[in-house]
Amino acid sequence: MSRIALLLLFRRTLLAVPILLCVSALVFLVLRLLPADPVAMSLPPGATADDLARLRQSFGLDRAIPVQYVLWLGKIITGDFGTSIFFRRDVGELIARALPATLELIAAGLLLGIAAGIIGGLAMFAWRGRTGEQVLDLATSGLMAIPEFLWAIVLILLFGVMWPVMPFIGRLGSGLVQPAPLTGFLLIDSVIIGRLDVFVSALRHLMLPAMALAIGIAPLIMRVLRSSLLDVIQEDYITQARLRGIAEHTILVRHALRNAALPTISLIGVQAGFMFGGTVLVEMIFAYPGLGNLMVDAVRNHDLPVIQAVALIYCVLVLGINAAVDVIYLAVNPKLRFAT
Amino acid sequence: MRPQTRVALHRCITTPRVVAGLMLVAAIVTVAVLAHWIAPHDPQEQDLLNILLPPSWSAAGVPDYPFGTDSLGRCVLSRVLFGARVALYVACLAATGAMLLGTLLALVAGYFGGWVDWIISRIVDIWMAFPPVILALILLVGLGTGVNKVILAIVLIDWTRFCRVIRSDVMVIRRKDYVAAARLAGFSHGQTILKEVLPAVVPLLITLFSLEMGIAVIVEAIMSFVGMSVEPNVAAWGVMIADARQFMNQSPWGVIIPVFAIFITVLAFNLTGDGLRRALDPRLMTSRGDV
Amino acid sequence: MEVLEARNLSVSLVGVDVLRHISFTLRRGRVLGLVGESGAGKSMLGRVIARDLPTAFKVRSGALTFQGHDLVTIAGEKHRELLGDSIAFIPQEPLTALNPVLTIGQQFDEHLGRLGVPQADRRTRMITALGNVLLHDPVTLLDRYSFQISGGMCQRVLIAMAFASEPALIVADEPTTALDVSTQAHIVQIMRKMQRDHGTALLFITHDLRLAAHVCDDILVLYAGDIVERGPARTLTAMARHPYTLALQAANPPLDGPAHRLATLPEQMPGIGAFTTLPGCRFAPRCPVADEECGRAVPPLREIAPHHFVRCSGACLTQGAKASAPEPLPVATTTPGVPVLVLKDVAKHYPGERDWLGRRRPGTDAVKAINLTVRAGEFVGIVGESGSGKSTVAKLIMGLEPITAGRIAIDGNDVSVNDSAARQVRLGTLQMVFQDPQSALNPRRPVGRLITQSLEAARSTASEADRVMRARALLAETGLSADLLQRFPSQLSGGQKQRVNIARALCVTPRLLVADEIVSGLDVSVQAQILNLLLDLRRDRGIGLVFISHDLSVVRYLCSRVLVMQHGAVVEQGDAEAVLGRPQHPYTQSLIAAVPPEDPDRPWPCNSP
Repeated sequence: MSRIALLLLFRRTLLAVPILLCVSALVFLVLRLLPADPVAMSLPPGATADDLARLRQSFGLDRAIPVQYVLWLGKIITGDFGTSIFFRRDVGELIARALPATLELIAAGLLLGIAAGIIGGLAMFAWRGRTGEQVLDLATSGLMAIPEFLWAIVLILLFGVMWPVMPFIGRLGSGLVQPAPLTGFLLIDSVIIGRLDVFVSALRHLMLPAMALAIGIAPLIMRVLRSSLLDVIQEDYITQARLRGIAEHTILVRHALRNAALPTISLIGVQAGFMFGGTVLVEMIFAYPGLGNLMVDAVRNHDLPVIQAVALIYCVLVLGINAAVDVIYLAVNPKLRFAT
Repeated sequence: MRPQTRVALHRCITTPRVVAGLMLVAAIVTVAVLAHWIAPHDPQEQDLLNILLPPSWSAAGVPDYPFGTDSLGRCVLSRVLFGARVALYVACLAATGAMLLGTLLALVAGYFGGWVDWIISRIVDIWMAFPPVILALILLVGLGTGVNKVILAIVLIDWTRFCRVIRSDVMVIRRKDYVAAARLAGFSHGQTILKEVLPAVVPLLITLFSLEMGIAVIVEAIMSFVGMSVEPNVAAWGVMIADARQFMNQSPWGVIIPVFAIFITVLAFNLTGDGLRRALDPRLMTSRGDV
Repeated sequence: MEVLEARNLSVSLVGVDVLRHISFTLRRGRVLGLVGESGAGKSMLGRVIARDLPTAFKVRSGALTFQGHDLVTIAGEKHRELLGDSIAFIPQEPLTALNPVLTIGQQFDEHLGRLGVPQADRRTRMITALGNVLLHDPVTLLDRYSFQISGGMCQRVLIAMAFASEPALIVADEPTTALDVSTQAHIVQIMRKMQRDHGTALLFITHDLRLAAHVCDDILVLYAGDIVERGPARTLTAMARHPYTLALQAANPPLDGPAHRLATLPEQMPGIGAFTTLPGCRFAPRCPVADEECGRAVPPLREIAPHHFVRCSGACLTQGAKASAPEPLPVATTTPGVPVLVLKDVAKHYPGERDWLGRRRPGTDAVKAINLTVRAGEFVGIVGESGSGKSTVAKLIMGLEPITAGRIAIDGNDVSVNDSAARQVRLGTLQMVFQDPQSALNPRRPVGRLITQSLEAARSTASEADRVMRARALLAETGLSADLLQRFPSQLSGGQKQRVNIARALCVTPRLLVADEIVSGLDVSVQAQILNLLLDLRRDRGIGLVFISHDLSVVRYLCSRVLVMQHGAVVEQGDAEAVLGRPQHPYTQSLIAAVPPEDPDRPWPCNSP
């Protein structure tokens, strides 16, 4: 099993390379369509044409686009993401600070969303044909009609403004100084240095944005799990297990759930990708210092090196989660493992 | 009319979701069309003496501004009504565009298979590596901002939603013997696609189209929220939320009302699409009561 | 000792009885066969025992007693305790009856756990049980999944599980229908042996009267929810008296002896919806000897010989058996000259698919260098089991798949490469009738537009009026009523769909039809109608046929020449009578041995698995 999983991961990594090349080329090309000159925008009003030319040269923007692309790609391979036009700082450094925050948020959002989705889906299945299912079904429709970024605003309104119990700005309370990053993950760092107050504050700050993301995926997981369970219990092997006198709850847990999990796992893979997009707006609304916030700032200021790098990082994350989901799928589905 | 069509239509109009969804859609369309006549104020008209008013039903409200005013003293109700126009405009055009592009590629890929399918599938793979919001932001940086650019961006991003789903359906239909029979009867490839394959995916297309309208409304709201869609003074729901967010402590209604408008619109499209999917699900169309 | 007893059992759907006054007893160590075509209600009884009736179906009256418990009224928990322990089931589709995410061992172990076998003993028990059903290497099998083994092996595992609890009763609903003929023979043999060894009572549900005659001790023949004939298997098959039972026997072409035209019944079994319009004998509208009285009251089940019961008002009982003398089979007349179709060393290789790791699996040679010549008016049969490549041959002939080697010629024109010229040649000469009408008929086209589809093609100049005329003519030729013009495929019965399927192929007036398993999904009585229709088409149109089937007796009935295929290669070919009467190749011999013979006294199955 583990050997097959490694092989699969290896193959996914190999496949990711051409996809990332295409993605980077696409991003690079689209951004060169930009009518305005981002460098000119960043110069003070008194600058001369010479200043502009020099600056353009220093960013490499005076060369032909394919040359720019190849140079940029070459640098990225060595870990050099270039310099931000707006912040005038190393892009790699900006990303290194923002990435752990985003990963922490995504992990929390996925965890909450999957847990709620599975519990809700099982509840809907258990109440099938009854009022409880109808109510939950309507609730999922309602929840899905509000996108993550509006949930962020609604949650702030509810738990930050009308009933102020939760913090909703940044990653830490204003009285606390962010400790020097070890891993960059606040929840982990605070445990390492033994600061309970930091841990609690970070967790509280994580709650609302993670909830906004979780509400974005939970209803879909609920629905898919419910409908695949409904499909699976129609299968012959469930009837046959019943005809062997196996108890209903054993049938659900042992026979139905594992089969029904397969479509749910694929769905989580796709939805996790969308969720990464959701973090962009959610981070911006919560002033959460992650990749999304960085992206929005970069977009507003036409900060091309940052946009390019952050977009690439997002794609790497999506491909990474897809590979992880594939491995899980493989572990649950013997048909894939043994099909020869 | 063939009996299945009649049954399907009957199922549609007796599915509560479809009925509720279509009624909501009709209401929103009416409001958007009649915005000029039913809005109490010009959406741009500023009344700086009456800023951040609460709705008329609260104690400090003014009957002249049923839903209150924003930070520049503009009528929230009027702006919400006019905002529906932007939302529907984007929803119709973007969903149509995405459907046409996605379906065309799906038919070609699913029917012919081979290298055509390989190329289209790889493009979809590349698109799927982007979170949609990221791709939208990048496209709008490159294309420039504006509501028509938002529509173009949605088409360029969401055609994959149609392509992926329709393609796998086309591949199932392609394997049906009646497609082979049509070829043996002398149909050209084009005839076979148009007369045998396309009609079979129409129910799915209608469903996806309805859901895509909801998605387009959301994307437009996001883009106007970050200031990349309509001009800042145009009344769009995302713009309203972005403006009112800064004054949430003084006047939460300024946020709640446009959020609610988005909620209702997306809900309407989702209910319709969802209901249609359930009503037209081929698995449910054939009764399982065989003896 | 009575294991299962039904007394006046009636099952109804909103007031209409789909099973009427069923009574029988099944004793220990006996096999009771429930025989009927689809829609007869034969599966209902198993579902009453399992308490798995479809929605809205109810037991209206009567009792079904299992060892003193009434299975209709017994408490749910008590009923569940009986299932899998005292009552076991063998399913129709063995491949889907095992959970694909659990190994064979895990599922068997779970079953033994439910029976209370201590953990320590289970493994030995499983290995012994799997050995008893003649599965090789039971130890490795325990760690395998259902999709890794064949349908026949799955069915053996399920048989082993069913017998694990030494149940008093086993219900087997069409246990061999999904399997190949030779596998069917093995499975029947194992089931019979296990049943005898354990003294189990077996309820064997099947559509195949000939199979039932060999498997069962007693037989019940069901028609539209009624028992029409009941008796010991030998008596019933040798001296059937009910006109329906006789018709069933007559509709099944024999594998040996003289061939004559099959006698067919008109129409088909009424659906549940039509039951209310049939107050009397439900068979009366199709019965060759019915009089007016038959339509008024349900005749009683009368004992005409010891243990032999027939539900018939009398005409047939006095008249005795077959009224009309058998018609001779029309002789084929083939015209010399250029053959319509010539296949020379035609082969098809499929490259392997890539698996999830992107490795290309080894390819398969679906068809290996076959040669075939068909002359005008000639009926040629291709027989073989699933996976023999016989369906691929049909696709290659029709140009639906490119050939990878060899040559195909139609009327002397080379069509090896399916370019537009070859398409033109095929279009006027060859047509195909597909296996599964469900898939072959576009559900969105009404019958009239389906069968004249070729007039819609780009080059056609036919007007709408031409089309309607043509459609009417085709319907008449294939024995369908003109009322069907506006109907849609979902509104047709299985036999009607297959006729529409044939009518469509005839629209371009082809000289050769390629028919792939076109009767395998049909009930025997409908199958006989379709076979006779094909013979009529040869008589009227001089049409030729390449008939692909797994059923040797059907091929013998239709075809003058036959090819036997195994693993993509033709292992034997020649004159149908010679090949099927004196088979030379061991594979052909084993295929013939696997078919249950018409004579119930001939021992079958006789080969050891």
